[in-house]
Amino acid sequence: MAPLRSAVPWPLARGVSHRWACLLPLAVAAVLLAAPAQAQSSDPANDAAQPATQPAAPNTPRPTDGAFFLTVHIAGGTGAVAVGGGYWLARRRLEPELLLGIVPKKLGGKTLGVVTLKTTYTPYAPQLGASRWQANPLSFGGLASYTFGPGLNSSRATKYPKGYYWWSSALRFGAVLGARLTHEGGAGWPQRSSYYAELGTNDLYLVSKITNRSLRLSEILTLGLGVKGGGK
Amino acid sequence: MSFLRVLCCSTVLLAGCTLLESNPNQTWAPPTAQHLTAQNLQRLRAHPKSPTDTVRFVFVGDSQRFYDETEDFVRSVNQQPGIDFVLVGGDISDFGLTRELRWVHRRLSGLRAPYLTVIGNHDQVGNGRAAYQQVYGPLNYSFRYGGTKFVCVDTNGRESGFRGRVPDVPWLRRELADTAGVRRTVVVSHVPPTDSDFDPQLIPAYTAAIGSSPQVVLHLAAHIHRYTAEQPYHDGVPYLTTYHMGKRRYLVLSVWGAGQFNLQTVSYGPAA
Repeated sequence: MAPLRSAVPWPLARGVSHRWACLLPLAVAAVLLAAPAQAQSSDPANDAAQPATQPAAPNTPRPTDGAFFLTVHIAGGTGAVAVGGGYWLARRRLEPELLLGIVPKKLGGKTLGVVTLKTTYTPYAPQLGASRWQANPLSFGGLASYTFGPGLNSSRATKYPKGYYWWSSALRFGAVLGARLTHEGGAGWPQRSSYYAELGTNDLYLVSKITNRSLRLSEILTLGLGVKGGGK
Repeated sequence: MSFLRVLCCSTVLLAGCTLLESNPNQTWAPPTAQHLTAQNLQRLRAHPKSPTDTVRFVFVGDSQRFYDETEDFVRSVNQQPGIDFVLVGGDISDFGLTRELRWVHRRLSGLRAPYLTVIGNHDQVGNGRAAYQQVYGPLNYSFRYGGTKFVCVDTNGRESGFRGRVPDVPWLRRELADTAGVRRTVVVSHVPPTDSDFDPQLIPAYTAAIGSSPQVVLHLAAHIHRYTAEQPYHDGVPYLTTYHMGKRRYLVLSVWGAGQFNLQTVSYGPAA
């Protein structure tokens, strides 16, 4: 229904003052995108490797240089399976990536396609003993996904007065929190691979939770699993 | 020991499956949250009534994103004596997402009486129509309880682009004509024909079908979030709309005889 709803404008029309709270995932993503600059400028090892008076020799990769990686991701809202890739930045702490996902008819009622832009930040990478494995106890990130499917993207303008439904069914913003194991120094490709699991949620679930104390955190969470592999 | 292990594993697996969501627009739901209309009708039929018995049911609308109130609603309804079933007049979800339907179901499954639904416009947004079909069942359906027939019809015309197909008037006529063993009929929809979201070209045919059926006792709807009672078509059929869940009020309706009904409003507060 709308007439009453539209009188009290949008998402948190339930008397909650945090009316911009659903933009939280976006804010997280913005902070993450700003992070590499900070990470590079505050890193003493990095500064030492590049004295201002002596530019780095060409063809000599700096430790901060990234590399491309490929991703296979399961669930977490971005498709039953999604594949894609990105580029490691900020000493491989930051992973911007593009994912192309699919939801089969059996799960979606009809086949849906999902395009996702995602950025994950992994601040700690302690080595596991003398092995080539690292444990990454914390990863967090933000994502924006667009779902393609019949009825999801069709304009509502032809059917409804403007603002009748304040959200888009196709465009979702989300945030994730996870952990991973990383193996470095493989002989062939991939030289570096990460196995991860992450819990996440999206803007609409978050709006539902913020406006309902009885909605449990476990009710709004999703689980995503994945593997990333790439050059060193 | 092995039984416990299997139980633990299957619990973890099911929790994992539920968390492993391919997309918010997915329609998949665990088997316990599928075909709920059929499941609830089966529960209702387990307590049969004779045609002369009064049928007493709760009617509320628009549970959309009112999970706190839904929990309090369940607590209140469970204190009402002699409720045969609960009827939710559509807009069960706010965003047309499967997970929302399951959040509502998790709470309404705490009702002592079975509950039945009719689809609302918010339940049809995006992939919502398919989600509703998976979780609840057909968009148009009818059932009999005692001597009363309930015809639940999708009237969300605007959601279908006002193309003259929703509501399905020929289906409605057939349902209203099939009166063998029926003493009275209650028509249940989400959008009332008096609202601008009802397909205007179908209002005459829809209301004429109802007005010309002598068995019809009541037309029930939700959508406008408030209680109204009127006879807009001067045909002797009262058209009622009910409160939305956020109002913390609901109707208790009793129907009996050849066309008698009684209506009570119940208010409830938040849990202490």
